Amino acid sequence: MNPPASLQNLIEALRILPGVGPKAAARMAYHLLQRDRPGADKLALSLNRALAGLRHCRLCNSFAESEICELCANPRRDPALLAVVEMPTDLAMMEAAQTYAGRYFVLMGRLSPLDGVGPRDIALDRLIERALDGVVREVVLATNFTPEGEATAHTIAALLKARDIAVSRLARGVPLGGELEYVDSGTLAQAYRDRRSL
Amino acid sequence: MTAPHPVNHQPGFVLHSHAYKETSLVAELFTRDYGRVAAVARGARRPLSGLRGLIQPFHPLLLSWYGRGELRTLHAAEWQGGLAPLSGRALIAGFYLNELVLKLLARDDPHEGLYALYDQTLQSLAAGPGALEPLLRRFELGLLKEIGYAATLDRLAVSGEPVSAAACYRYQPGHGVVPEDAGAGIAVSGRTLLDLAAGEFAAPATLGEGKHLMRALIHHHLGGKALYTRLLLQELAEL
Ligand SMILES: [Zn+2]
Repeated sequence: MNPPASLQNLIEALRILPGVGPKAAARMAYHLLQRDRPGADKLALSLNRALAGLRHCRLCNSFAESEICELCANPRRDPALLAVVEMPTDLAMMEAAQTYAGRYFVLMGRLSPLDGVGPRDIALDRLIERALDGVVREVVLATNFTPEGEATAHTIAALLKARDIAVSRLARGVPLGGELEYVDSGTLAQAYRDRRSL
Repeated sequence: MTAPHPVNHQPGFVLHSHAYKETSLVAELFTRDYGRVAAVARGARRPLSGLRGLIQPFHPLLLSWYGRGELRTLHAAEWQGGLAPLSGRALIAGFYLNELVLKLLARDDPHEGLYALYDQTLQSLAAGPGALEPLLRRFELGLLKEIGYAATLDRLAVSGEPVSAAACYRYQPGHGVVPEDAGAGIAVSGRTLLDLAAGEFAAPATLGEGKHLMRALIHHHLGGKALYTRLLLQELAEL
């Protein structure tokens, strides 16, 4: 026996979430309808509001409720520094570190050659336009330290250096408070390669 | 109870990986004795997973898995070290090697010779600045030979007559070297065919013609599938 059509539609809809298979989607649907109807209502409303109200900030490409987001509109942020991150979660992590005082550009992805994600699928053209506003002096590449993040950083560096913008990359090495005993071999090998003289 | 079909400490590389369920990864592996193998690394996306940082391409690993069928279970990966991370153009070239292996080699066929060539090519890429083209041509040719698509370059397909350096020929995919007037096929000089057969990639003309020939053969054997890494390079050139 099939569940009613609207229930089936809900289960199908939940399956678009990453990592959610048919069983997990069914569990979510039953939970929302049976155990938490106010929560379900709130979810539906927030989803609708977010879809209607959010857009990409004209300057940093992250999500914003207005044309320019709060961070980009903040006059105390150094306009000569531009950090490039893959996702808004990475921006949040940089902010939590409380040391970077410049502005951001969020790619909303990374180059992933084997998945067919190319320069047209992330906002590279908009980044170049943003970096060439005449005010930005240095672009800090804070993409992930995965082969895809590295390929993205290399590509951006090549494009910007050709246009005379200084480009830097986050350093990598042993984490703060890291005891060598617990550091993975790849990180340790890299920390040795990038060692500095004292 | 012991795990079925265990393979332990098998030298190999990760070619590519993608997220699987909440916290796991599916890794496409290229291993020395088992060829291409797909395996799920359970929990590898958890922050403290020991596998997390290791399931990355371009690093030699010792891999341990069990199970049979399409998807094995990868339970351990040990860092082998000795290879600097690829960067810049060498990194893009590394992606290209991986895409070729993923798209042209079938799963679960051992290719020990090609594995050695892959390992050696990555080492040269990691060793840093050097000409990429000869490395890529050598790998493409090794791969095509291994899967039987460029078996004989120094003799004509039908007559078995040796190729002469001074003459011109055509290479017909799936068939072999034919005389120049045979019509269809990729035009190529005798000199280039003999150089390729001998693994000599020094001459600029050999590199140029060899690139053209290998590109056409790869295109033919991909059966219309696009090579994303090549598209990437084209798109980047247009930015
Ligand atoms: Zn903004």
